[in-house]
Amino acid sequence: MLFTELINSLITDTTQSLPRFGVELCLSATIVLFLLMRLTGLDRLIPACLTATIGALVATFLAYKQFDALHDLNAVPSVKIFTGLLVHDLFSVYFRGFLALFLLLTVALTSLTGIPDEDDSPDFYSLLFGATIGMMLMASANNLLMLFIGIEMTSVPSYAMVGFLKGRKPSSEAALKYVVYGAGAAGVMLYGISLLAGVLGTTDMSMLAARMTEAAAGGSGGLNDPELRTASLGIMLIMVGLAFKLSLVPFHFWCPDAFEGASAEVAGFLSVASKAGAFGLLVRFCLSLSGAPGTESLMTSFGVGLGFIACITTTFGNLAAYTQTNLKRLLAYSTIAHAGYMVMAVAAMLVMANGPQAASMQVDINRSIEGLLYYLVVYLFMNLGAFAIIAIARNYTFSEELDSFRGLISQSPTLCIGMLICMFSLVGMPPFGGFVGKLFIFASAFRAGQIHWFMYVVVAFGALNTVFSLVYYIRVLRTMFMEARPADARPVPVRLASWESAFVVTLAVFVLLLGILPHMMSQTANDAAQSLAIFR
Amino acid sequence: MVGETLRNLLMIAWLLPLVGFAVEIFGGFWGSRKSRTAAWLAVGCIASGFLCSASALVIWGNANHWSVLNKQSHHSAGEHGEHDAHGEQGKGGHAAEPAPKAEHGSVSAQGPYVLTAAVEEHAAESHPAGPTVYSGTLYYLARIGSLDISLDYYIDSLTLVMFTMVTFIATCIHLFAMGYMSEELTEEYVDHNAHLSNGHHVHRPGRFYRFFAFLSLFCFSMLGLVLAGNIFQVFIFWELVGICSFLLIGFYTERKSASNAANKAFIMNRVGDFGFLIGLMVVWTFFGTFRFGETVDEKGTVVQAGLFQLIQRDETGNVVRDAESGEVIIGAHDAALTPGNSRKTIPYALLVVAGLGVFAGCVGKSAQFPLQTWLPDAMEGPTPVSALVHSATMVAAGVYLVGRFYPMFVQEVLLTIAYVGCITLFMAATIAVVATDIKKVLAYSTISQLGYMMLGLGVFGWGAGLFHLVTHAFFKSLMFLCSGSVIYGCHHEQEMPKMGGLWRKMPITAFTMLIGVIAISGLAIPGLVSWSTIFAFSGFFSKDAVVATSLAFVKANPSHFLLFLMPLLTAGITAFYMFRLWFYTFAGQPRDHHVYDHCHESPLIMTIPLMVLSVLAAFCAIGGEQGKLYLMLTGDQPAHVAHGVAAAAGGITLPGHDAIHAVHNQAGTLALIAAVSGTLIAWVLYGTNMVNVAEMKRQLAGLHGFLANKWHFDELYDGLFMQPAHIVGKFCSWIDRTVFDGIIHGSAKVVLFVSKWDRLFDENLVDGFVNLLGTSTFAVGRSLRVVQTGRLRQYVMFIVVGVVALFAILFTTFPG
Repeated sequence: MLFTELINSLITDTTQSLPRFGVELCLSATIVLFLLMRLTGLDRLIPACLTATIGALVATFLAYKQFDALHDLNAVPSVKIFTGLLVHDLFSVYFRGFLALFLLLTVALTSLTGIPDEDDSPDFYSLLFGATIGMMLMASANNLLMLFIGIEMTSVPSYAMVGFLKGRKPSSEAALKYVVYGAGAAGVMLYGISLLAGVLGTTDMSMLAARMTEAAAGGSGGLNDPELRTASLGIMLIMVGLAFKLSLVPFHFWCPDAFEGASAEVAGFLSVASKAGAFGLLVRFCLSLSGAPGTESLMTSFGVGLGFIACITTTFGNLAAYTQTNLKRLLAYSTIAHAGYMVMAVAAMLVMANGPQAASMQVDINRSIEGLLYYLVVYLFMNLGAFAIIAIARNYTFSEELDSFRGLISQSPTLCIGMLICMFSLVGMPPFGGFVGKLFIFASAFRAGQIHWFMYVVVAFGALNTVFSLVYYIRVLRTMFMEARPADARPVPVRLASWESAFVVTLAVFVLLLGILPHMMSQTANDAAQSLAIFR
Repeated sequence: MVGETLRNLLMIAWLLPLVGFAVEIFGGFWGSRKSRTAAWLAVGCIASGFLCSASALVIWGNANHWSVLNKQSHHSAGEHGEHDAHGEQGKGGHAAEPAPKAEHGSVSAQGPYVLTAAVEEHAAESHPAGPTVYSGTLYYLARIGSLDISLDYYIDSLTLVMFTMVTFIATCIHLFAMGYMSEELTEEYVDHNAHLSNGHHVHRPGRFYRFFAFLSLFCFSMLGLVLAGNIFQVFIFWELVGICSFLLIGFYTERKSASNAANKAFIMNRVGDFGFLIGLMVVWTFFGTFRFGETVDEKGTVVQAGLFQLIQRDETGNVVRDAESGEVIIGAHDAALTPGNSRKTIPYALLVVAGLGVFAGCVGKSAQFPLQTWLPDAMEGPTPVSALVHSATMVAAGVYLVGRFYPMFVQEVLLTIAYVGCITLFMAATIAVVATDIKKVLAYSTISQLGYMMLGLGVFGWGAGLFHLVTHAFFKSLMFLCSGSVIYGCHHEQEMPKMGGLWRKMPITAFTMLIGVIAISGLAIPGLVSWSTIFAFSGFFSKDAVVATSLAFVKANPSHFLLFLMPLLTAGITAFYMFRLWFYTFAGQPRDHHVYDHCHESPLIMTIPLMVLSVLAAFCAIGGEQGKLYLMLTGDQPAHVAHGVAAAAGGITLPGHDAIHAVHNQAGTLALIAAVSGTLIAWVLYGTNMVNVAEMKRQLAGLHGFLANKWHFDELYDGLFMQPAHIVGKFCSWIDRTVFDGIIHGSAKVVLFVSKWDRLFDENLVDGFVNLLGTSTFAVGRSLRVVQTGRLRQYVMFIVVGVVALFAILFTTFPG
């Protein structure tokens, strides 16, 4: 190919790709705007949170338009952009919309609670937006290199955000731990990528399955085949990297420390958004390896392995949360447990997609992804709600310990009711959204039990853990509702007619709506899940 | 879009009372106890509902050019026969502008289905003027497995007539209740019928707003029941009217008798509803749908046939059965049988079970034998409640459902319905003869009349039964309101022996009551030309229709002769006890001067509804079976009703319209003779002083006692169910206390013993271990808090350890 041709094809490809990259471009432009404003001192005139809100709003709107456009256009649901580095389909647009919405909510929360302060806010929002772009890249990655870049682009701003409370020692400590741990995990994953790419001869994820089949051809289809052995080592190392982002046991050590050190706003952001991106990536990665003839049993055992990890993770997370007295740390363990629940859906998907009747179970495979996507949305609202309430109360009590919440019902009932809804939803009680999400996930895991018996064990663990989790969530509620407010406690006068209350109530209403009227959101999630089937 | 207009109008009429309820119950709770706002709101809601229903009726009629009215008059004015009528109608239809063949229903925002208006077969064939039946989905609730749960609507002429009737009567009764319940407009109401343990009367805040809130809730539920487009939805609203009835009967909840009556009504209805549920399960299992009409997707193709389309009938009117197995075929019976497409069938016996099950629910709700005993007790509720809930609407819901579900009933079920109705109508009438409480007489009369309706439906008089439902609703609600007026005027005196001569004090009440009495008794002045010009009030026409149908039925099936004799006899008894009531209360000399002296006519707000209702009670059915009401009502009657059903081998023949018409005059004459003689006897016994009634009562003490004790049904149920339940309960409690408690106490001792040892084990071994674990993890955690290069390295070491461990697991669990 001539150089000019190469250039020309690159130019056409890029010009075609850019409109589909609109959301990310919008966020990037906002970052540039922050920096320019900082340079010119304009940020003294226009508060950065306003710029951030507008940027996030536009991004949300763009994502919505993209979803709409793709949804109407059933014919071309999946397009590779940027020479096949990224995929543009309903699934990635779903995540874009989800992340942009979440970004918007986080910006709203930060401007309500005043973290960061005015001087730092352009820097903080730049980091926040940069991390969000990384997450969006994760969810639309179609190349192992993009996978790595996405994760790193998410991680690096996250490290800085965790350590953003510069004056606090625990904050810096947490950031350092996070950095070192993240670096270790990144190294492991990079090694896995190089192994996989080396054995299969490609980094394009859409070609992985075919290459796996070639690698397995002639061999026993098991680990005695050296190529497969290397490949599965690579797959596993990549999954370890993802497990770090998802804080799955035994790669969760950073999570409680980082959450405790970070401010509640950042912790809320990390607990939902970075997990969401990682889940998008995990689903894409798993699906790209699924259904390759000759490697089904290997991939099924990876699925069962994921299920196993999910069981361990939920159990560990829930049990470890029992003794926590710091609310953020408690929620950190709860986050670990919830990542476990959601991995169950991926495990179910992997098992079903590599089962003997994978073709006829396409609907069920979509259902499991739908369950995951639905749960993510519910999780967004309920977890952000919980963190937001902690952040709001912290501004009055200067503490995030459980004790400082004692008897809060007498002073700010709105916060307490909001917490009640979020916590009951986290437990998975009807009629809140968490129930519906859990129902979807457990149902698909149960369905996967027809392929491999272990998935029944996974369901049993999921059910058992729901009971476990009741204990510590209820403990928080009991402290808030049933104990008397100590006389020396700082008052938390959050009235019903205040922005804080409005924010909490909005989130709580969404949690409730998702529990009562599941079909609207689940239909959207199902559309997104269906576009993945074509991606395969 | 006529269908959408109708749906919207009826939805407004249906939902307004719900809005009213919400506003009233909360507004009343926080508002003043002395305010009439709640009542005006309730009246406003239901009156707007009436306007919506009435306009819906008119729109419906205009859309199909009033084809139902024309069709029938052709048929009956001269004996043209079906063919001519169709020809005439066909021309009329073509002359009119061509109307769409099927109306599309709504797209519910959530549901994947759109329903189109199902055009009933006969309507599509003979009336190109437009569809008369509209169905569709209002709101899509959930899909559980293959079970769709949704709120549907099914609008045909029956729905519209019921809507208009219910909203109209409810409006009248709401107005009446504003006067009747005015005593509740106080901060402190003294209930003279409720006593505290120290003998004092109960003092409580007035509950005016709550009464109207409950009435509104009831109206919402009742209208929902009528609008329902699937049998499950019917069940939902069935239970809702049940709970409203419970709340309203127990309105004076401090009175022991009222709360007992509320419980009794609720529990006895549950017995019937149990059967209803069984019927639902059978329907669901074999038919796979609850919807009456067809389910149609966006493109207009039929996804699933409705219940009424699934049961097919052949030319003789019998259900189509499989030639070999004898099972009833579900769905199109002439569809080609391919190996992959086996036809669905339901065993005939189970179809009977489904019908009987649904009917069991109707038995409970309409207080039919053997579940009739709750209705007289239900008179503990305020009188407007008795008028609305327990005479005109809710108890008629059972009859309505039988009418609605008619296509699903086979001969055996219909015969059961007929006999149940027959027993009920006779038994209740006899009890009414000896009752002395004015409301109890009316209650038994209601049961008896409901029996007439059931009988009418059971002997294949679909129109007759429902005709009687509507006319009865008017005159019975009128009479109940009159009795309410009497009770209000006499300061809550309900015993007729203490009344007498009241017509001088309350002329409007007495006169309107007389109209109701004449209407229910079925008196008429035979006309000069023919029966069709006879002058009579509504009750005559509808009862005449029922009796004529049963005579036709008996002529076809002579062994069931009781089905004609009993209603005929009871027609006489009805006239007797109703006139007895009137003479007792209003005529003659005052028997208790204390009551008489303090009694007064009710205010206008109560008497105006009486006058309005009396006009309708008198003239609503004018023209009889050629009148507008009957034709409107039967506009969408099930297709097989008109021609009757020929007997299968050893089965029952059901009479068609021609057979009924042939015996109409004969039956009418007999019924009129019975009614006149009943009236005369009542006049002789109670209107004049020629016979000493007390002496008669003494001579017939045995019979009187039997009747006054309501045929000993309460005692019978007490002996049959209550006592055994008590005995079993006592036995269980004895077993519980001796055997199980013994076991439990013993096991408790064992557990105590074990736990002592367990505690030792626990405290030393387990706690030691756990504490060790706890302290060690805590120590590790604390040590990890401080950043130390060595520890962080260990942190990262875990990554390596984890990876190696996972790979080891992969290798061991996935060999070669």
